[in-house]
Amino acid sequence: MTIQRTLRSAAFAIGAMLATAMPALAATEQKPIKITGEVIDTWCYFSGVMGSQDAVLGSAHHTCALWCAAGGIPVGVRADDGTVYLVLKLSGSAPLANKDTLLDLQSDRVTVNGMHYVRDGVNYLVVEKVISNEGIVNLTHEDFGVVPPFAIPEPAKTEETK
Amino acid sequence: MRSMLGTTAVLAAFAFAAMPASAQDFSKGSQAANWNLLGEEKARFSGKVVDILCELTGDCAENCGGGTRQLGILRTKDDALVPALKNSQPLFNGAIPDLLPYCGQMVEVDGLLIGDESAKGAKFYQIQLIRREGEADFQKTDLWTKAWDKEHPDLAGKKGDWYRKDPVIAKHIEAQGYLGLGKEADEKFIKENY
Repeated sequence: MTIQRTLRSAAFAIGAMLATAMPALAATEQKPIKITGEVIDTWCYFSGVMGSQDAVLGSAHHTCALWCAAGGIPVGVRADDGTVYLVLKLSGSAPLANKDTLLDLQSDRVTVNGMHYVRDGVNYLVVEKVISNEGIVNLTHEDFGVVPPFAIPEPAKTEETK
Repeated sequence: MRSMLGTTAVLAAFAFAAMPASAQDFSKGSQAANWNLLGEEKARFSGKVVDILCELTGDCAENCGGGTRQLGILRTKDDALVPALKNSQPLFNGAIPDLLPYCGQMVEVDGLLIGDESAKGAKFYQIQLIRREGEADFQKTDLWTKAWDKEHPDLAGKKGDWYRKDPVIAKHIEAQGYLGLGKEADEKFIKENY
């Protein structure tokens, strides 16, 4: 009897836990979206490999963002509320099908519309159209210099700077 | 009594599958190197290599987009779609060339789950090793630079890392400067800091 009661309690507890956790198993959610935010390098932002997340945004990190985008690391749009959307398609093309277009957007503040997908806690974005582009407005180099510091090659020494 | 035991076991199995990715431990048997990254966890698991866009939307392309689309692993244990952000090279490059040969195939991967899940809601993956299911040996995920050398035979033998030599990157830096704010901003910054 006691064992039965224990099992019943365990089944109830697991059932409750399962009900709470069910959203994680849900199929992909999708909805149309319009976002304003910065085009970022997702690896440096999420991994902390270069230090603080603020330092891997804007002008300080622009050259590294070019490197990573050209290197095939997923590009993201970081919305003003801090949510990052991994870009899966850009104006009808696969992101790496036109690197010129992809690199043109790095570190820029843009407004885009498209379709938003969520799967296992990750936000994805199929960009239908870049509605507006303000260019680079996040002047982080004023606080952080360049990140990484070797992004700008050491200038050749001249007689004046030796 | 027996049926209650069975029900409890089934519910427990479902509950495990429903656990968030980070709540599960995939570190057993991992040979991944530490990178001291945010929220870093060693993770070795099996799954299918997928084109993420195809998996989410049904918009599919031949051979997972042939290198133009982002790829991920559909993890067998919990059906989680794990985006692959990075390979094993510390060279500002991703994992697409390492995953592409296995498009649609079952693989075992070893690497690091990274990211602050409590703040951002998800973990991402750096793949360091990969092997087709059933194969004996893992391959290091270092195909990116080999693919770049093949695409740029005139530059491959020249001194310097790929990201200093890449013509598309060089064109953008030439046009917008290292800070992306134009040559004048670069000159001012360099004068003040170098």
